[in-house]
Order: sequence, then C-alpha cells, then structure tokens
Amino acid sequence: MRAMQEATFLILTSLASGAQHGYGIITDVQDISGGRVRLRPGTLYTALDRLRADELIVPDREEVVDGRLRRYYRLTPAGTKLLAAEAARLQAHAAAALRRLDLAGGTAT
Amino acid sequence: MTDQAHLERGYRRLLAWYPRAFRDEHGPEILAVLLACAPDGQRRPGLAESADLIRSGLWMRLRPSVPRSARTVRAAVQLICAGAAASAASLIIVLAVIVDIRVRHAVLGHRLIAAQVSQVTTSVIVQVLVSCLVPVAVWLWMARANGRGRNWARILFTVLFGLTTLTLAGVVPPPVINIASSVVASNSIVPPSVITISVGPMVSMPSIPGLGPVIPVLTGLVVPALTWLAGAAAVGLLWLPASSAFFRSQGSLQARRRAQRAELERIRSSRARWPRQV
Repeated sequence: MRAMQEATFLILTSLASGAQHGYGIITDVQDISGGRVRLRPGTLYTALDRLRADELIVPDREEVVDGRLRRYYRLTPAGTKLLAAEAARLQAHAAAALRRLDLAGGTAT
Repeated sequence: MTDQAHLERGYRRLLAWYPRAFRDEHGPEILAVLLACAPDGQRRPGLAESADLIRSGLWMRLRPSVPRSARTVRAAVQLICAGAAASAASLIIVLAVIVDIRVRHAVLGHRLIAAQVSQVTTSVIVQVLVSCLVPVAVWLWMARANGRGRNWARILFTVLFGLTTLTLAGVVPPPVINIASSVVASNSIVPPSVITISVGPMVSMPSIPGLGPVIPVLTGLVVPALTWLAGAAAVGLLWLPASSAFFRSQGSLQARRRAQRAELERIRSSRARWPRQV
C-alpha cells in the first residue's frame, strides 16, 4: 500500500469522529495538527473529490446556514478501514523510531 | 457594494477555472467555505488563495478522473499516457537530429548557402513538429476521454490501434513525408540528409539515413515497438469485464447529469417567465 499524503490522512481523521462540513474540516485539521496544517479550500475540495471518487467518503447531508450551503461528509466503511490501517502503520513506524532512539541513548521522552 | 459581496464576486470569478459539472455541484459549498475562511473586511481574494483555486480548478479539468476502484481502466490510461510519452520521445529525438544535421554541415564546411540552411531548419522543424505532434495529441486525447469513461473513446482507441498495427505491419502504406529533399537535389555536395517520416495515426516513424545505426533503430524500431506494446496492453485492459463495468456506470452517470441539467434549465426558464404572467 502506498503511504497516504498527510493532508489526506488529516482529512480522514477529522471525519473519523462523525460527519463534518468543509469549513469544519479545515478548522479541525488545523487543531489536530497543532496549527501546522492549514488547508486551503481549493486543495480541500480537490482532496474531497478524489476521496469521494475512491469511495472512501460520501456526502452525508446538507444544511443551509445564513443562506449558505453546507454539505457534510462522512467516512465509508472502506474509508474507516483505510484510515485505521494507515494509523496503525504510522504508529508502528513511530514506535520503532522511539525504541531505537532509546537504545541509542537518545532522548525519546 | 459591501465588502462581502465584493469578495464573493471575486471568488465566483475564480471558480470559473473549475469544470462546469464540478462547479454546478460544489460551487455554492466552496463559496461558503471561502467566505467563512476570509477575515472580516477582506475585499478581494488573496494571491495565495487565488493561485490555489486556479491550480485546483485546472487540475480538475486536466486530470483523468478514474476512481481507484476501476483498476484496469487506471492501468490502461497510464499505458496510454506512456504511449504519448513514447511519441513525444521520437519527436524530441528527431528535433535533436535536425539540429545535429545543421551543426554537421557547419563543421564539415559544406557550402550550404544561408537560404538553404534556414530552409532546412524552419520548414523541416515545422513539418516534423506537425507530423510528430499529431500522434502525441491523439494519445493524450484518448487518455483523457477513456479516463472519463466515454465508451466511444474505447471503441475509437481500438480502431486507431488496429490501423496503427496494420501500418506497422506494412499492410496499409502510411502517408510519408519527405523532408529536406529539395536541399539535396539542389546541392550535390550535401550528403543525403533526407528525413522520411511515416505517419500512422498513433506512431510516427522518422527514418534518417546516414546518421549511424543508433538513431534510425531508435526512431524506426524501438520507439514504435514500445508504443505498440503500450497500445496493445491498453486495448486489452480496456475490454476486460471490469473495465466494461466502469464504462457502463460512467455512461449512466453522464445520462443522469444531462437529465439533471435539462431539468434545471427548464425550472430556470419557467421562473423567468413567471413575473410576466402575474
């Protein structure tokens, strides 16, 4: 399996706890990444479109707030599975790195 | 006009870079996100923001949108892109050779008068460009149309590939373009630097005699062979049952979109008539 792009990973993560709309995903991704990743709307919708074509997410519902359309997206079972696999992969890599740093007397704490 | 309305107009203009189908479906939604992201008092889209929208919009227009689930079609489209790359490679080789011919004449001190030299370069380069760009364009067009699941593209690609095969096998004589022959005829000192280009619908085979064994083999044999292999594999993949399912589903999707658009137009036009009736 090819490694997932960070933006894709963060978008899927933000949808993992429930459906979100575009602006919600942007602020959520910013939170998750500690303010480091700020998705631009163009980039976000390119990613959402691809994720939708790959059947990893689906539109959930639409709301109109202050006369503006909000479309919510949620993970499909395939999306949930892929995110879980990717998270496990990253965790295994991170754990290996920390373990080896420890052995080498590095500061892994 | 308020700041917000001004900004909204700017964003709407930028959204025009997106394909129409995408804009119809996601335009209002993206607009809402853009406006929500904008700080109070912003009057026009920022530079980075605009660049992001233009880049994304162009990408949406250019990329073949094959979902990951349609594996066989994705592979076929990648092979067709490889075919385009191979045709482009033969074009680059030939252009390099033409430049080389010119340099050789200069080095060997052949008495080409200035007019002949410029005749070699400009007329030759234009003809080579046109005759070699046609196959490249055909391949790219086929990659795009097949990637969008157009069934006619699958059929056309197969037909063109069949024609190309017949051409390569020598069954159908290809149209041949002779280049630079006039220079040779008018000046016997010049070694034969005739470039012949056999143009198939998808492969151009330039043959350049008198330039050592490498280049004629590359352009006349290796590149066409690789191109043919890519095409053959792509045709095979496009007609697998899994691919047929993708073409069918895309076909019904397009029919639905067309119906939706017609319905929308109908509603709009009936609304436009409404006030006059009251």
